[in-house]
Amino acid sequence: MALELVDLVKAFPGADAAHPAVDRVSLTIERGSFVSLIGSSGCGKTTTLRMIAGLEFPDRGRILHEGRDVTLVPTSERGMRMMFQDYALFPHMTVGENVAFGLRLRRQRGRHTAGEIDRLVDEQLERVHLPGLRGRKPAELSGGQRQRVALARALITDPEVLLFDEPLGALDAGLRRAMQFELKRLHAELGKTFVYVTHDQHEALAMSDRIAVMHAGRVLQYATPEDIYFTPRTRYVARFVGSANLLDGVLVDADRRVGRVRLPNGSVIEGSAPEDAPAGTRVAAVIRADRIEIRPAGSTDAVRGTVQERLFLGTHDEFLVRLDGLDADVSVHRPTGTGGAISVGDPVGLAWQPENVRVLSE
Amino acid sequence: MKTTAAARAPGTDLSSAGTDGRALARRRLVLWLAPPMLWFTAFMLVPYAIMFFYSLGSMDYVDFVPGFSPANYVKALTAEPYPDVLLKSTVNGLLTALLSSVVAFPLAMWMAFGLASPRRRALVSILVVLPWWASYLVKVYAWKTILGAEGVLNTALMAIGLVDEPLSVLLYNRFAVVLTLTYIFTPFAVLSIYAQLERIPRSLVEAARNLGATDGEIFRRIILPISVPGVLAGAVITFSLGFGDFVTPSLVGGPDDLMITNLVVNLLGVSMDRPLGSAIGVVVIAFSVLLLMAANAAERRTQVRF
Repeated sequence: MALELVDLVKAFPGADAAHPAVDRVSLTIERGSFVSLIGSSGCGKTTTLRMIAGLEFPDRGRILHEGRDVTLVPTSERGMRMMFQDYALFPHMTVGENVAFGLRLRRQRGRHTAGEIDRLVDEQLERVHLPGLRGRKPAELSGGQRQRVALARALITDPEVLLFDEPLGALDAGLRRAMQFELKRLHAELGKTFVYVTHDQHEALAMSDRIAVMHAGRVLQYATPEDIYFTPRTRYVARFVGSANLLDGVLVDADRRVGRVRLPNGSVIEGSAPEDAPAGTRVAAVIRADRIEIRPAGSTDAVRGTVQERLFLGTHDEFLVRLDGLDADVSVHRPTGTGGAISVGDPVGLAWQPENVRVLSE
Repeated sequence: MKTTAAARAPGTDLSSAGTDGRALARRRLVLWLAPPMLWFTAFMLVPYAIMFFYSLGSMDYVDFVPGFSPANYVKALTAEPYPDVLLKSTVNGLLTALLSSVVAFPLAMWMAFGLASPRRRALVSILVVLPWWASYLVKVYAWKTILGAEGVLNTALMAIGLVDEPLSVLLYNRFAVVLTLTYIFTPFAVLSIYAQLERIPRSLVEAARNLGATDGEIFRRIILPISVPGVLAGAVITFSLGFGDFVTPSLVGGPDDLMITNLVVNLLGVSMDRPLGSAIGVVVIAFSVLLLMAANAAERRTQVRF
C-alpha cells in the first residue's frame, strides 16, 4: 500500500467549522495505481491532494506512506512530486535549468556530477518528447510544452508518488486528449503511484484505476471507473459522473435489491437498489441517457413525452424530452444515424431495461 | 461595373470621403498624443533648450552674454570642486539606493508572502507611504533632533551609561546625510520591490519546496533572481532622489558634505553665475539620462514573463 489516508479533517480559518473543507476522508491507494479525486470546485479534492503533498497539514487524521506516518513531514522530505495547475515553472530559468532544479539542490549535492545531470535532463526531456528545447525560457513555450517540462522536472528525482492538481485544465480539447494518452503511457511505463485531481469526469473515467468522487469535503464513493459509472451509490455520483437522469419519486416497495418507484405522474419504474429501504422513502430513479431507447410515440409505450430540444453531438444526438404529466426533462442519447427521424415537438415513447435503472435514496 | 471602376480610379482620395479606416486611426492617434506632446515640449524641451543656451554663454559682471563656448563644460568637469562634488553626490546616491534596497527588501517580502489578505496588504502599503504625508523638511529636522548632541539618541546612550559625553559623529557628516536620505526615500524602494515580488505566484515557492528546496534555496534561487527588476526600479528612484537632494545635505551634513545641487543653487542664487550653473545642470541631466537608459536596459534584460 503506497498511501493511506485515515480520517483526514481540514478546516480553513474563518470558514464554517461545522463544514470543514475536508471531512473525515479515508482512502487507501495501492502502490503503482492511478487514482483520481473528482468533484466540483470546493469539494475538497485539491485540499486532500495538497495534504498528501505536504503543502497543507490536516487538523486531524493521519497520512501513511509505505506504512510510515508522514502526516506532519514537510513536503520537501516526502519523495512525492506535485504537478501544479499553472505548471509553476521557474520563469527566470531555462527549460534545462527548470528540469535540473531538483538535482542541483543541496540535499542532492555530491550525488551527481554536472555531466550526469546534463545526461539526466536530456533523458527526461526525451521521455516527455521535448528534445532540443533545453535553452528556451518557459514563456517561449506553448501550454502543452510547459506541461511536459513540469513533468520532466517532477520525474527527474525519481519520486515514488506523483500528484497532479488539474494539470490539463488550461489546455484546449485536442491537447488535453493527447496529454491524457501521454500520462496513461507514462503511468504504465514508470509504474509509479499517480494521484490525480480533476473536475472532468471523462478524464477521470478514461485514465484511472480507481476514482474517489468527493462532495462537500467527503468521499461519496471510491471504486473503479466501471463501478462508479454503472453502479453509482448516491444521486450525486450518478449525476456527476454519468450524464444520468434523476427522476424523483417515492419507493413503492423494495425486495431483494429490486425497488419500484412511483413518479408524481403515477407511472412506476423498476430498478436495482443498492440497499432495501422502507416503502414510502423518497428516492430517485437513475437512468443514464445512453441507456434509454427513444422512438416515435406508439400506443404500447409506458413512458411518453414530447421532444423539447435536439442537439447534434457528432457521435450521437441528444434529445431533451419533457415527460407527460411531469415537471422533468429527460436527456436521451441516440447514436447518430439509428432509428427514425425525430424532431422537436414530436410526441415520443421512451423505453429501457430495468437492469439499467438504479434506485437511490441518498 | 463601370461606375465602380471609375470611383476607384487612381488618385481618388478615399480618406477625404471618410472611408479609410487607417486615416481615421491616424487622426485619432494625433488627438490622443497632442496633449502629452505639448506638455512635454512646454515644460521639458523648451526649458532644457533655454538651459543649454545659457550654458554656452558667459557673464559680464551681472549681465549675461550669449555665446557659443564650451568653457563652462570644461570648468564643470575639471575645475575644483565640481568633479569631486559630482562624484561625492554619485556615491551618496548609490549608498542611498543600496541601503534603501537592503532595508526595503525584508518588508516587501513580508508584504508579498507574509500577508495573505489583499486588505492587509493594502493597509501596510498605506502605512509604508504614510510618512510622505508629513513634510519633507519636518522629517529632516526630526533626524536632527534624533542625532544631535542633545538629541534623543545621545540622551539615551548617556542615560544607560554607554557613553560619557554626547557622540558628535552622529550629526553633520556624511553618515547623517545618507541615513536621512535612506529613511526618507525607502518607501519608494519598498513599493517597487513589493510590486515585483507580488507577481510571483505562490505555486512557484510551493513547487520549489516540493522539489526539495530549503527556505534559503528558495530565496536565493527563486525569489532573489526574480526580484531584480523591482530592486533596480527602486534603486533608480532612490538614487535619483538621493543624488539630486539639496535640503538634507545642508541641514544634517557638514561643510564638506554639500552635493552637486547645493553648488548649482549657490551658482544661480549667490554667485549669479547662471552659465556655469546651467552647464552643470546639463551635465547632470546627461548623466541621469545615461543612467536611466542603462537601468532600463538592465530591467528589461532581467524582467521575467510568467
